[in-house]
Amino acid sequence: MSAMAGPAPLASPSPDTAARARPAMRLLARQLLNRVAQLVILLFVISSVLFVLLRLTGDPAVTIAGENATPDTLAAVRQQYGLDGSQLHQYLTFIGNLLHLDFGSSLATGQDALGMVGAQLPATLRLAVAAIILNALIAIPVGAWLGSRRRGVARESASFLITIAQGIPGYVVGLLLIQVFAVWLHVLPSVANGGFTSMILPALTLASFQVPKMVRVTAASVAEAGRADYILTATANGASPSTVVLRHALPNALLAVTAMLGAQFAFLLSGTLITEYLFNWPGLGLLMVNSVQRLDFPVVQAAVFVTAVMVFVVNVVMDIVFELADPRLRRSGA
Amino acid sequence: MTAPLQRSEAPGDAGVPLADAPTPVGVLRRRAGTGHTASLYVGGAIAAVLVATALLSLFVHLGDPNATDLLGRLHSPDGAHLAGTDELGRDILARLVRGVRWSLGIGTIATAIAVTIGATLGTIGAWRPGIVRTLMVRSTDIGISFPFLVIAVVIVAVVGHGFWPLTLTLGVVAWPTMARVIYAQARGLCEREYVLAARLAGVGGLRSLLTHVLPPLVPHLQVMAAFTFADLLVAESGLSFLGLGAPLGEATWGNMLSASRAYLIQAPWMMLGPATAIVLAVLAANLVGDGLTARDHAKRSRSAA
Repeated sequence: MSAMAGPAPLASPSPDTAARARPAMRLLARQLLNRVAQLVILLFVISSVLFVLLRLTGDPAVTIAGENATPDTLAAVRQQYGLDGSQLHQYLTFIGNLLHLDFGSSLATGQDALGMVGAQLPATLRLAVAAIILNALIAIPVGAWLGSRRRGVARESASFLITIAQGIPGYVVGLLLIQVFAVWLHVLPSVANGGFTSMILPALTLASFQVPKMVRVTAASVAEAGRADYILTATANGASPSTVVLRHALPNALLAVTAMLGAQFAFLLSGTLITEYLFNWPGLGLLMVNSVQRLDFPVVQAAVFVTAVMVFVVNVVMDIVFELADPRLRRSGA
Repeated sequence: MTAPLQRSEAPGDAGVPLADAPTPVGVLRRRAGTGHTASLYVGGAIAAVLVATALLSLFVHLGDPNATDLLGRLHSPDGAHLAGTDELGRDILARLVRGVRWSLGIGTIATAIAVTIGATLGTIGAWRPGIVRTLMVRSTDIGISFPFLVIAVVIVAVVGHGFWPLTLTLGVVAWPTMARVIYAQARGLCEREYVLAARLAGVGGLRSLLTHVLPPLVPHLQVMAAFTFADLLVAESGLSFLGLGAPLGEATWGNMLSASRAYLIQAPWMMLGPATAIVLAVLAANLVGDGLTARDHAKRSRSAA
């Protein structure tokens, strides 16, 4: 691949930035509209699939109330969930309730399903933030080092280690961490107890399967930036290798790194099912797993809904961050 | 990954492999090529051992994975039980061997489903502009934006446990990434001169798709299949770990890991066995994927030179 010949990134903004801001804003608005449409379709499709599957696999009232429910309970469930009309009528009621954000109440506790999900949300957010910070602190320096190194034994063995690390599922890492730090060394709790220390192992677990990917992306984009002309100029002007990497290559590589961090954060908000289950962390994932296990569909549905909305919010924020961070995008958008 | 293919299959591309030329560049390229073949061989070897074990267990009795022995429960590894016994005195090695069949079976079939759906949608989207393409690109965007494990958990909860529900669910939810990669590649191919020339010469659309666009996609399909296989293996044992995949008591790696949670103190070997098995299987698939990618790059840069 040849060196990038485009305008030098991070140059001072051109004087006519203001004139170009309007088309850029319009682009952003269109992107936002696109995202909203995606969210609506996603929620609609998931809900409809769930609706159909519940009916294909048997009587939904039995599925909801359990195998040994009395006829009275079944009748009550049918009435509560609008299962007594025609299929079409049922479907319309179901979608109507969704539009009102009415997911019904939990079959297990009788509480409002959306409220239960909301109560679990802070724990998931805390864990996700801790994991993403840990991830960035480990992966960006390692990736920058790897990307700025020439081919050699150190780089090859490091990238082999990353391949191995990438193949270790999170729950295996989690079990190993529990084994070492909780069972053998007795230094860290393996189950959530509200304290800060109980967050360390789950955060490490989550970071463990995101770091390898992050290192790869950072290394690739630092290496890519390292081939640009302005790096050659900086080197020719006598900048030391570390200055070249830290001041010139890394900042320009951060765009791809930020994109990856955003994607991984969105994943953390929703994909922590197994880690939360493993460490009994009282978050959205644990609630989802427990609700699925006891077929508490109102809660499952509320959890899926909230997850989709959070992923949506992260994506929109990332769109805006990109718009603000990279002048090149603004220019190409105009 | 999104660069259009530069392969010698294209008519008119005189694909002379320059690596055989005794220039310093050729020597360097060949040396660079040895790294990826190593990972291809190591990954392939591990995969071969796993496949052989699965096939062997179909025909030869390798120990009963479900024979319980309550007096010999939680035994550490020794001569009689090479990997120890679990909480019901079942031989862990026999259960690991039986688990290979389950994991490879689900992984292979689900990957095949995902590859078929993804490749079909991807090529059709690349081939047909207009509403078909828009629909395909949009649905892929939506599918990718949402973590598939969450959807799989919900679907499996409704459809039920077992081999086929799990396989079908994983196969059906894993297609979007595949579709996106194949679409990007096929899109470039559809615009290539030889495809346009064939169309001008009167070759029908479907035939052109099958004979000109599909063959150069095969290397990408292989790479994607290897990585998807690894992902689905992790997802499958993850679901079983949550108690939502394999039926309880079935000898699968995920179930074994799940059971090991309660015995981390008394019997750490209950965790180490299945953990090693999963890591090895996933590593094999990732190494094969890496090796194939590198081999592809090497071939391409050779034919581009």
